[in-house]
Amino acid sequence: MSKTFQGPSRRAILTVGAGAAAATAFPMPAVHAQTKELRFLNAEPAVDSVRALRVAAAQYEKEKGVKVTIDTVPSGDAYTRTISAIKGGRPYDISTIIFAAHVLTLANEGQLTPITELVNKHKWGKRILFPVNGQHYWYMYDYNLSWLFYRKDLYEAQKLEVPTTWAGLLENCRRTSSSDGGNQRFGMATPIGSNDATSWMSIAYMWAEGVSLFDDAWKNTFATDENRKRTAAYLDFFADLYKTMPPGMTQAGFGQITAAFSSGQATHAPYAGRMIEILEQRAPQLADKYGMMPYPDSAGKGAAVNHGYDGWVVGKTPMAEEAVRFLEWFSDAHYINFLHSAPLHFQPPRLDIYDDPRWRAHPLIEKHAAAVKTMQGFLDDPKITIRSIDTEGPAPDLRPAKVFESFLIPEMIQNKVLRNMASDACVEEAVAKMNRVIA
Amino acid sequence: MRSRHDWVIWAFFWSGIALTALFVGGPVLNALWLSLHQASSFIAEPRFVGLGNYVRVVQEADFWRAMGNGVIYAVASIVLQVVIGIAFAMVLNQPFFGQRLVRGLATLPYLLPTVVVALTFQWLADGSVGLLTVLARDLGLGTIPWFEQPATARASVVLASVWLWTPFVTICVLAGLQTIPPALYEAAKVDGAGPVSRFLHVTLPQLKPVLTVVVLLRAVWMFNKFDVIWLLTRGGPLGATEHLPILAYKRAFSQFDVGGGAAVATVSFLILMTIVTIYIRLFPLEEKR
Repeated sequence: MSKTFQGPSRRAILTVGAGAAAATAFPMPAVHAQTKELRFLNAEPAVDSVRALRVAAAQYEKEKGVKVTIDTVPSGDAYTRTISAIKGGRPYDISTIIFAAHVLTLANEGQLTPITELVNKHKWGKRILFPVNGQHYWYMYDYNLSWLFYRKDLYEAQKLEVPTTWAGLLENCRRTSSSDGGNQRFGMATPIGSNDATSWMSIAYMWAEGVSLFDDAWKNTFATDENRKRTAAYLDFFADLYKTMPPGMTQAGFGQITAAFSSGQATHAPYAGRMIEILEQRAPQLADKYGMMPYPDSAGKGAAVNHGYDGWVVGKTPMAEEAVRFLEWFSDAHYINFLHSAPLHFQPPRLDIYDDPRWRAHPLIEKHAAAVKTMQGFLDDPKITIRSIDTEGPAPDLRPAKVFESFLIPEMIQNKVLRNMASDACVEEAVAKMNRVIA
Repeated sequence: MRSRHDWVIWAFFWSGIALTALFVGGPVLNALWLSLHQASSFIAEPRFVGLGNYVRVVQEADFWRAMGNGVIYAVASIVLQVVIGIAFAMVLNQPFFGQRLVRGLATLPYLLPTVVVALTFQWLADGSVGLLTVLARDLGLGTIPWFEQPATARASVVLASVWLWTPFVTICVLAGLQTIPPALYEAAKVDGAGPVSRFLHVTLPQLKPVLTVVVLLRAVWMFNKFDVIWLLTRGGPLGATEHLPILAYKRAFSQFDVGGGAAVATVSFLILMTIVTIYIRLFPLEEKR
């Protein structure tokens, strides 16, 4: 028997259509009851951070009847996702932004809602607020300062002093290097590739030495004779430091540096509080054997930590008012819960948090109270410089951002250590590239 | 009279045209439009600058360096992939015990996602604990600076690309080899041709149609290849592996120069179109009657 296909009958179409209409209409009361929704773009993909946000979202929905949807992306994708959402017609009500120039761009294009009143309710640490045209758009949740970790046990074994000069650091790197037992231990692990990691971790020695890129009038101070000399001296020092590093540092990112220190491959490594959390999780035998120090200068007169920061912005959306209300609600207990999701890495930018017993009660914060005190000291100590390439200048601007993204300073380091160019020539090339980039 | 069959063909044809126009033509036109404007981001109000972006990018040393890097990368990768691919295919075309299993294994790298291959290669070539690094050290070759020097970094990305895409050439050439009539080899043997002569005068001419397509496809893919280089080196060190697609991406997405990035991408597209046109003229895909 053969049967030819004649397509769906009119009866079948009507039946399916009626069924679909009924199915659509059935959950409508629930949909109508839930018309308010906040869309939150999170860029902290660690499971504890996502969980902290989801708990807050669930409680907000329960208390206020507003659904908060959390989308999570890696931090490097946050800006692209924010832009895509705007271009796609569904902008996020709250977005995580990790780069000052991105906030500037969004604010200048009228895509952000100012949250000045909310920000001004708290006292903040130094150099952590980045107002645009007198308005605050960014609610910061951490300082991502980079400083140097060292192996305290090896220092004690060799009776080494914590260095305050480049020469001292070099000497300690050399003296703590070892190839005993077939496992080679290197003095320093610090990245030198053209990437964010190098810009964050490997150049604060320059800041300690007093180098700057722009003055308050946006003059290119990097090109001054004084800064050229300082930078050339830094490159000479860095070339010596490179000799104490493990191979593969052009490829090193954040993970490789923490791995080098936590595995015992390197005696010194830069990073933020995440390093301590990693030691606790993966190398507990080293969790009480680390020390912390700022990046030294050449003469022992100055020191620096490299700046870092993360925060949330409120988009210019129909739900902007509700988003601000959510942030205000969140900024109490849930803010602390969120900080606890990376208790030592999310260094509070709000000064009241340091005295809040709820924040101090976290076991890791209690255990590493000395480290927390040192971290807080980086903010309080007037002798310690906090700078970064992207925050140079008197206000957020695309010029330092372009200098950062062109990786001209990591390339300057590579010219010195990989090509063995004269330091003056490396600086000259970097200055020329900077002039081109900011033109 | 038109049959129902014709209608189906036209429906598929126009669907294909519509999808290509939407997903290929649209972005290309958008990139062209962007390349004529200056904007610091995709949400900024673009300002018309005519051909200003093109003039600017071709005057920059970075552009020509990226162009040179792209040519070196594409040519070196294609030559090695084709030579090694043909050699593998010749071996796999011979009967031996476990031939099917080896054929399957030979295609494995091509089946893996690029990110997996890139990360695996990165670990193999890790400066301290990489398997290849340790092996080279144990063999007395010293520590190979896989990604530390411009020349070795270029060689490393070529090596990873060859590892990843040679199986594609192998599969295509193997298919081509199986279509060569054995009688041709027997006749060549009777005429006294040795293995090299048989390869040069029988195998290669018979493989010409396959190789023409394979080289064309590989050229287009390698010239535009972004992922493997981005994952391995991000264009470093010192821009040694930065080719036009990476330069375009950095300009548009990192360096607040959307128009410049679009101009680089458009120039790259035009260069590739020119190369492909010349190639097709030199090696027509269909034999002339």
